[in-house]
Amino acid sequence: MKKVFAVTLGILTAIGGFVDIGDLVTNALVGARFGMRLSWVVIVGVIGICLYADMSGRVVAVSGRPVFDLIRERLGRRTGLVTLVASFLVTLLTLIAEIGGVALAFELASGVNYLLWAPLAALAVWLVIWRVKFSKLETVFGLMGLLLIIFAVALWKLGPDWGQLVHQAANPHPIGHETWATYAYYAIALFGAAMTPYEVFFFSSGGVEEKWTKRDLSTERSNVFIGFPLGGLLSLAIAGCAAVLYLPAGIHVETLSQVTLPVAVAFGKLGLAVVLIGVFAATFGAALETSLSCGYTIAQYFGWQWGKFVRPRQASRFHLVMIICLLLAILTLMTMVDPVLVTEYSVVFAAMALPLTYLPILIIANDPDYMRDQVNGRVRNFLGLIYLGLLLVASIAAIPLMIITKAGR
Amino acid sequence: MAGKVLHAQLHLLDRQLIDQASGELLGKVDDVELDLAADPPVVSALIAGRERIPAVQVMEVDTAVKIVRGDLDLTRGDDWVERHIIDKIPGAGHAPE
Repeated sequence: MKKVFAVTLGILTAIGGFVDIGDLVTNALVGARFGMRLSWVVIVGVIGICLYADMSGRVVAVSGRPVFDLIRERLGRRTGLVTLVASFLVTLLTLIAEIGGVALAFELASGVNYLLWAPLAALAVWLVIWRVKFSKLETVFGLMGLLLIIFAVALWKLGPDWGQLVHQAANPHPIGHETWATYAYYAIALFGAAMTPYEVFFFSSGGVEEKWTKRDLSTERSNVFIGFPLGGLLSLAIAGCAAVLYLPAGIHVETLSQVTLPVAVAFGKLGLAVVLIGVFAATFGAALETSLSCGYTIAQYFGWQWGKFVRPRQASRFHLVMIICLLLAILTLMTMVDPVLVTEYSVVFAAMALPLTYLPILIIANDPDYMRDQVNGRVRNFLGLIYLGLLLVASIAAIPLMIITKAGR
Repeated sequence: MAGKVLHAQLHLLDRQLIDQASGELLGKVDDVELDLAADPPVVSALIAGRERIPAVQVMEVDTAVKIVRGDLDLTRGDDWVERHIIDKIPGAGHAPE
């Protein structure tokens, strides 16, 4: 019974935890401009993150080593350093976006400008990391993030022409004045949002924090293969809401209030309150995950003591890295850069860093020294290679498309 | 570990160093020192940062390298940050779980 509870909890946490500011903004933005015509990317992205999160989960459960530890080991010091710089910068950018998201949620709830909330949000994130147990922090924000399911209920309440949404999803091409270039650019953004590198850093380091062994593999699997796809459905619901409300009117989504508006239209003030709590939980939870991931990647590359399973003073450099990252996040947001814009860039840059993150996982998952009898089978390797190809194409195409489309404008 | 055949690049370089007694993470293997006079050549020490870890202190080579710390100073950086920054923040010593 206890085990069933642990599994359910994990699944629920995964659903709530999958959606962060990147998914919220990108899905709404894409829904408003393309309807459901990019839905396939969400599905491709969810399968990809399931495949690789499961691989990194198995590596941790069998070898006890988290992903970034192995990235340096397999790629060597120099290439490892390139990977470190790329994934760290992307994770830091994502952290800035998440803190901005928390602050924007508070602005929407209170009417007080987000610039005032940003330092408070960062301070709150640090306090939680400093004091709260790892297992608790994951569960609380994951479960609260489940409130985002209201997007799915709102979509149903808005009473869309379901046939038309399905028709859009079945016709994956740009419409109206949209070009193939913007279509491809946003496909890469969605892909990056679904497969953001910090997800595997956090997932695998979290496995070490929670002292996973081979016996935890079934829990890991159900969390990944049920939680993430349901989180993906949530992403589609967000896109659907925007498709119903904004696409016919030709309105572009540029603010977080536009992302949440469909819920307010469907359920009024109460709906708005629920969705804002959901957005807060999802972005705050992701802010915790990204700050921890900033610490994890650097500490694991250099071999420093890391983790919340020891006292903060025992992992002093790990905690110092996170404090510096949060300070950088505050400073960046104080320049009045638009957090929604930061989010849009963060998912595209994430797409660029993807191959470097996922290649070492695939290599290690095939190494019997680490995996013993748990090495990848043929199906996993086949899919893993296909995805590596996709990631490579996305990462190479990202910059040219960003220039051609002027970042999707 | 007498006689164990290891591939220096694959099994030693860039591996995590762990204190065998406490489980503390102590850095990475940055380099390997070989004794070429022996036949076949053997690993005489591991290098981590500025410290040299003699082979006798290496206890286990698995997915990480477990060592006996002895009087090696492998956590200089961590100790410095601990003393000057982290310890000044209230709650730095509270138990994790």
